[in-house]
Amino acid sequence: MPQPRLLDLVKAQCRIFSLTFNPQRLRLGNKILRQRLRGPALAAWYPRKTVSFRDLQNTYKPLGLTTFDEAEDDREEAIQIAKLRGKGRPKKKRTAAESRSAKKKK
Amino acid sequence: MSKAASMFRSKKLDLSGFVNTRLIRDHNKRNAFEQMEPERQALRYMIRNTTLPQRVRAQAQLQLSQMHVYTRPTQIKNRCVASGTARSVFRDFRLNRFQFRMQALAGELPGVKKASW
Repeated sequence: MPQPRLLDLVKAQCRIFSLTFNPQRLRLGNKILRQRLRGPALAAWYPRKTVSFRDLQNTYKPLGLTTFDEAEDDREEAIQIAKLRGKGRPKKKRTAAESRSAKKKK
Repeated sequence: MSKAASMFRSKKLDLSGFVNTRLIRDHNKRNAFEQMEPERQALRYMIRNTTLPQRVRAQAQLQLSQMHVYTRPTQIKNRCVASGTARSVFRDFRLNRFQFRMQALAGELPGVKKASW
C-alpha cells in the first residue's frame, strides 16, 4: 500500500475513535489528558461524618420534642453527686480582684 | 497566595470514627489535592506538550512548582481508619495490620478467616 493511503487510513481511524492524529510523533502531552482524575477516590479514604444523635436532638428541639440521651443523663447525675460531696467545679471568678484574692488564700 | 495550611481545613470536622491531628492533616491534603487536581493536570499537560512555546512551558513549570505543597499527590499517605497509624496499612481494608487482626478475629470483617492447615 502506498504511504499517503496509509496516512489517510490512520487519519480516518483517529477521527472515528477520537484519537490525536500525530504522524510526526511529537510529544503532545496527551497522555496527561487521557489520565483519569484520582482525587475523588483519594478523598474518600476516611469515613465521612454521618447523622449523629446530637444532630437529631438539635433538629427536634426547636419543634418542642424532648429527647433522652442516656450518656448525657449519666454525666449530669455524676456532677450532682460530685457537688453533694463538695467536689464540684469552683465558682467562676468574674472580676480580677476576685481571682487575686482566691490565689492569695492558697 | 498565602502558604498557610489552615486554608485547606474545613470549618467543622467532617470525619467520623477515629480522629487525630495527623489523620485530619492527611484528610486536608486529600481534599486539597482533589480540589486542585484539574489545574495540576492542565499545567502538567502544558509542560509535556513540546509544540507549545518554550516560554509558556517554563511558566507552567514555575506555576506548578509554586502551588501549595498540600495539593501534591505525593503528600498523601494512607493511614489506618481505626487507629490513625501510617505504617503497614492494608489498602483493601484501610486498617493497619494490628487493627486488621483484631477486627478479623472478632469477626467484623466479612469473608476474612484465620488460615489453618
